[in-house]
Amino acid sequence: MGQRQRGIGKPAEGMEARTDHNPPVPLEISSLDVRTRRTGFHGAGFRLRTILEAYLFLLPSFIGLLVFLLLPIIAVAVLSLFNWGLLSTPKFIGLQNYNTLIHSQVMWHSLFVTIYYVLLNIPAQTVIALLLALLMNKKLPGIGIFRTLFVVPWMATPVAMGIVWQWIFSPQYGSLNTFLAFFGIHGPAWLTSLGLALPSVAAVNIWQYVGYNMLFFLAGVQGIPEYLYEAAHIDGASPVRAFFQITLPLLNPTLFFVLVTDIIGSFQVFDTVFVMTNGGPEQNTTTFNFLLYREAFQYFHTGYAAALSMVLFVIIAAVTLIQALYFRNRTVYDLS
Amino acid sequence: MASIDTTYQVGEGTYRRGKSSQKHLFRHLPTYVILYAILILGTIISFFPYWIALVTSLKPSRLLYVGAPWSLPASFTLDNYSQALTKYSFPDFLVHTIIFAAIATIGQIVFSTFAAYAFARMEFPGRDAIFWLYLCTLMVPNIVTLIPLFILMRTFGWVNTYYGLAAPYVLGTPYGIFLMRQFFRSIPQDLESSARIEGASTLQVMRQIILPLSRPIFATLAIITFVSAWNNFLWPLIITNTEDLRVLTVAIAAFQSNYGSQWNLMMAATFIALGPLLILFFLFQQHIVRSIQLSGFK
Repeated sequence: MGQRQRGIGKPAEGMEARTDHNPPVPLEISSLDVRTRRTGFHGAGFRLRTILEAYLFLLPSFIGLLVFLLLPIIAVAVLSLFNWGLLSTPKFIGLQNYNTLIHSQVMWHSLFVTIYYVLLNIPAQTVIALLLALLMNKKLPGIGIFRTLFVVPWMATPVAMGIVWQWIFSPQYGSLNTFLAFFGIHGPAWLTSLGLALPSVAAVNIWQYVGYNMLFFLAGVQGIPEYLYEAAHIDGASPVRAFFQITLPLLNPTLFFVLVTDIIGSFQVFDTVFVMTNGGPEQNTTTFNFLLYREAFQYFHTGYAAALSMVLFVIIAAVTLIQALYFRNRTVYDLS
Repeated sequence: MASIDTTYQVGEGTYRRGKSSQKHLFRHLPTYVILYAILILGTIISFFPYWIALVTSLKPSRLLYVGAPWSLPASFTLDNYSQALTKYSFPDFLVHTIIFAAIATIGQIVFSTFAAYAFARMEFPGRDAIFWLYLCTLMVPNIVTLIPLFILMRTFGWVNTYYGLAAPYVLGTPYGIFLMRQFFRSIPQDLESSARIEGASTLQVMRQIILPLSRPIFATLAIITFVSAWNNFLWPLIITNTEDLRVLTVAIAAFQSNYGSQWNLMMAATFIALGPLLILFFLFQQHIVRSIQLSGFK
């Protein structure tokens, strides 16, 4: 039994015959190659390891999410079925908290205040931010500086800034009324007036977030290709028409994002209300959020406050869902 | 008014081109003036509260109601600041705030980076579903979780401790993960693929490729998290009830209930919180502006 012939023919001219019978060894072999080959870059071993790694990477933040966000939500739902003063033992009372809630004059009033606040806040914020974004998009010299300056209010500590605005709104020596006096207008007591307190608080919020929203809109507007406007111009469209037919529809994704985050944000307003008006005058600035805080952490009606929390959660979820549905068929993401 | 331009007939409308730039400027000068006026007005409005806080804080009590509120006083005084800083423990409150913000920031950078990398580059079952879960929690109002959180902290005995204060923030927030993931996805995958083929482990890839490229986003996220912790009011209000751990925001609110009518003193107190942020803003404004823009892209 001789060795089986492996060669196919004569070696080519100029090539030496192999003298060893081992398969040719690549010159680049190294220990790394051996390791990759053993586990396989695309093999099952690699994939499993990636999955384990991924879960490991995710673990700390997921624990945080679970313990500090998800479980509390479930806990609130459960808590709302109890009567608990935090120092006493909890007592199960079923849906009674919700019953109390529905019949609470204070609750409905705060809901009305909250909705009114959102209506004061959001349209003004959005429209002004949008107009400013259009302005910022123009190629004026030095426009970049203004763009940065308009964002300065966004970083202000709401608690501190609320007190500053309280000073500005101060009836006798505040800046606003002093300014109005130059025009012969006798300014009212803004923060203690039944009708003007909430708009004043809303104004502070608008001041703080206009620049922030403007940046979003600016990014959105800059993403709209120039040729669309040129085509419209050729067809004889006025700038106003171009705005409503081109700019606004193409801004829908940005608009959706801004509206959702702003509305959720305004439902959560607390700091400015706390320092500027403390819910007054006569509960006219007691937003739902503020009422919740008071019930939970001043009166310690824990179960009742939990029920209020559930209501707030459901309201925000509903509002967000409505917006998602409204924008679902109106957003055009692909501009190719 | 006559202009040196050429007008073409294209289809139904006219299309102008070739205006000389001088005529352009002159024709549009009123527009430019109005636009700049709006910009300047907007800047004044944006800065006015800061100005008034600063100016009022430098006024001695006797000059507080002299002249317009926004005018500079005849003589400045640092008395209000020295009162706040020496008699009312504001330095302590500052320190507490900085520690809290630092813990939250470091935790955010570390843990969110890992989670975001997993979402951005790794494939594992449930990846998209879990990411959506993170995003959905952004919709939950803050106050909804605060009641059970407070009870939880009380059970652990963490009320009035840094543990309790920082716990909800130290393991990273969904917003931070979202921001980082968007950024990681913008890094070209070739770099990582070639490293993988060379046999690099994930940690090596992260340390040698991702980390050096991510300095801008780290800076951005660090600032956002720091400022957010600095401004946080509701949670510290709930979880601390002594002066041992009081942060700036709560201190200012407490200050207001005692000295609310002494406006010069109050303005000094508020400017202690506002001032540093203003400085931070101007040092890092490009990062801040970029973060806002990054978070807008879905």
